Amino acid sequence: MGACGITALCTALAYSLFGRMEPANIVMVYLLGVTAGGLWLGRGPSVLCAIANSAAFDYFFIPPRFSFYVAEPQYLLTLVGMIIVALVIANLMANIRGQTQAAAARERCTATLYAMCRELAAAPDATSIAAVAALHVSAAVEGPAMLALAGEDPAVPPWFTPADAAIVRWVFDHGVSAGPGLQHWINSPCRYLPLVGGERINGVLVVQPPPTIAPGSHSWNMLEALVGQIAMALERVRLAEVAAESRAAVERAALRNTLLASISHDLRAPLTAIAGAGCLVAQDSILLDSAKRKTLGQLIEVKARDMAELLGNLLELIRLEAATALPRADWQSLEELIGAAVRQSIHRFDHRRVLCELPEDLPMLLVDGQLIRQLLSNLLENAVKYTPPGTTILIRAVAASDLVMLTIEDDGPGFGCVVPERLFEKFERGQKEGSVSGAGLGLAICRAIARLHGGSIHATGREGGGARFEILLPQSTTATCRVVQDR
Amino acid sequence: MTDSMHRILVVEDDLAICAVLQTLFEGDGFRTVAVGTCRDAISFAQLQRPDVCIVDLGLPDMDGLRFIEEVRTWSAVPIIVLTARTQEPQRLAAFEAGADDYIIKPFSGLELIARLRAITRRLARRNRPEAVLHLGSVEVNLETRETRGPEGKVLKLTPLEHRILECLVQHAGALVTHEQIMNEVWGPQLADLRSLRVYVASLRRKLERDPAQPQYILTEVGVGYRLVSDGE
Repeated sequence: MGACGITALCTALAYSLFGRMEPANIVMVYLLGVTAGGLWLGRGPSVLCAIANSAAFDYFFIPPRFSFYVAEPQYLLTLVGMIIVALVIANLMANIRGQTQAAAARERCTATLYAMCRELAAAPDATSIAAVAALHVSAAVEGPAMLALAGEDPAVPPWFTPADAAIVRWVFDHGVSAGPGLQHWINSPCRYLPLVGGERINGVLVVQPPPTIAPGSHSWNMLEALVGQIAMALERVRLAEVAAESRAAVERAALRNTLLASISHDLRAPLTAIAGAGCLVAQDSILLDSAKRKTLGQLIEVKARDMAELLGNLLELIRLEAATALPRADWQSLEELIGAAVRQSIHRFDHRRVLCELPEDLPMLLVDGQLIRQLLSNLLENAVKYTPPGTTILIRAVAASDLVMLTIEDDGPGFGCVVPERLFEKFERGQKEGSVSGAGLGLAICRAIARLHGGSIHATGREGGGARFEILLPQSTTATCRVVQDR
Repeated sequence: MTDSMHRILVVEDDLAICAVLQTLFEGDGFRTVAVGTCRDAISFAQLQRPDVCIVDLGLPDMDGLRFIEEVRTWSAVPIIVLTARTQEPQRLAAFEAGADDYIIKPFSGLELIARLRAITRRLARRNRPEAVLHLGSVEVNLETRETRGPEGKVLKLTPLEHRILECLVQHAGALVTHEQIMNEVWGPQLADLRSLRVYVASLRRKLERDPAQPQYILTEVGVGYRLVSDGE
């Protein structure tokens, strides 16, 4: 149609010019038409246009006019030359057009690949990679696509019924692609492409492309390029996970070693004392008067208590670090929790004073009462352990709009040259192996408790000397938990 | 003496702990029988009717909770539970089953004896309840429903505060769970733990010298309250 239209247009133009121009220039009008045809039409139509134009020139303008008969031999040469030139132009133009189209397709492919790679690089885990990949592949091949990950049960989503979970498993097992145009499962409507990373298959891409996309086609090559990128992204995530895991294992091993070293020292020392004292008491020796016997008994009790405390702290810390939520949160009054904590340590205070400055309108907090009491007890016991008798311990609480700040400070010797924040690490002690018993777990427990409540704990020196601990408990936990409670 | 001597049933499978408890109690004038299994404990309690039971929750044949539930079907004998610190949910379950008090392992002998004495005093009081209780300079009179502060000045308590105080006084020395107080003061339907805490806080402000460091109305975190009078 287009070819005939161009011929008609050229003939009309040439006809209007005929008489004012030489026939050779009229040839140019027709060749112009062929060039235009080659630019806009496909190869076939432009060849047709070239032939039609030559025929029209012969018919209308070569004498005798209105006949295909060529009277003079010189016009035969013109006609043959014109046919050859027209065919060559048509062919060349078609080639250029094809290359332009191929370049545009390559451009689109590169853009798709680039866009997908950028999103894949940002994807933090395999699940988000699967989502990104399915989206881009389905846009690129104009058909539905999904990605089944290794280690998950390949479930086919309801919107993708042609896909078959059994074939997905088969591809996982055999590691070769399947689908029409491939070697296996050729009757399936979908294609299944394994995403190979290293020596394992990290996933299987399932696509249902339109039938035009067959192996070897340009779109197919693009699909393969996409598959390669997705496979690389999956492998990257997997390797990152493996690396993180081994790093965590190394850290765990280091912690376990510290733990074992610390525990074996802190348990062996009191055990030695207890065994020795017990042995002495059991001997019915005359050397042992009742006063000495009493001292030994007290020693056994004190040492046993130290061990019990260490074990209790250790178990508590393990429990807290495994916890992700507060299972026993309840409405608690800070005043009551402080009272209970003070009472628990009161027998050790020994001329130390505890002062409380709490506002009467302190809001209740939705917290685990036992844990907050424990946090306060640990801080109080530290204050008792590391200050001389006669020290004053001041407990204060202030409620701000979104949090409650609790401070516990003393006018004792303070932290000295120890960096206070380091004390919150496990097995970190202000005084190494000193006269004060303990394993350096108390403050680690405090920090774990504060974090579990979405809060924080900090240690600083007090103005004018002494230690100061500041606990921030967010009131927002109050708000979010209230919704749960009222329901 | 023999008739008034209280008989204590210790249900504990660790022989060392049994030996310590037996020595401790007998040195203080209690008669003690120790058994190591839940089954033996139940049959002993049925036959011998002890005055107080002390139960370890981890027993070889059954959970100590089963003993409490079983005994509670026919007896109101005071039961003290021995628990480890890591057993908080079990401790609460023990109270629901009907336990009266608990001691955390490792416990101090003196503390256990003090709890035991408080319970036996309450046993003695069951027949003739004391009308007047002294909390420092505060005097609570249950008969006249009057509470007097230093120098005989009458302290004004709201009716709800008075009922909570009454409830605590009736169980003086013993642990009273939140549920118990709320049931006795409000009734089971209207129970609200937050209101209870607010009322206890205002009671403390009227009775205690420093409400943040109470000496008489003590908090047992997560469980309830315990009123300690001067005599205890």
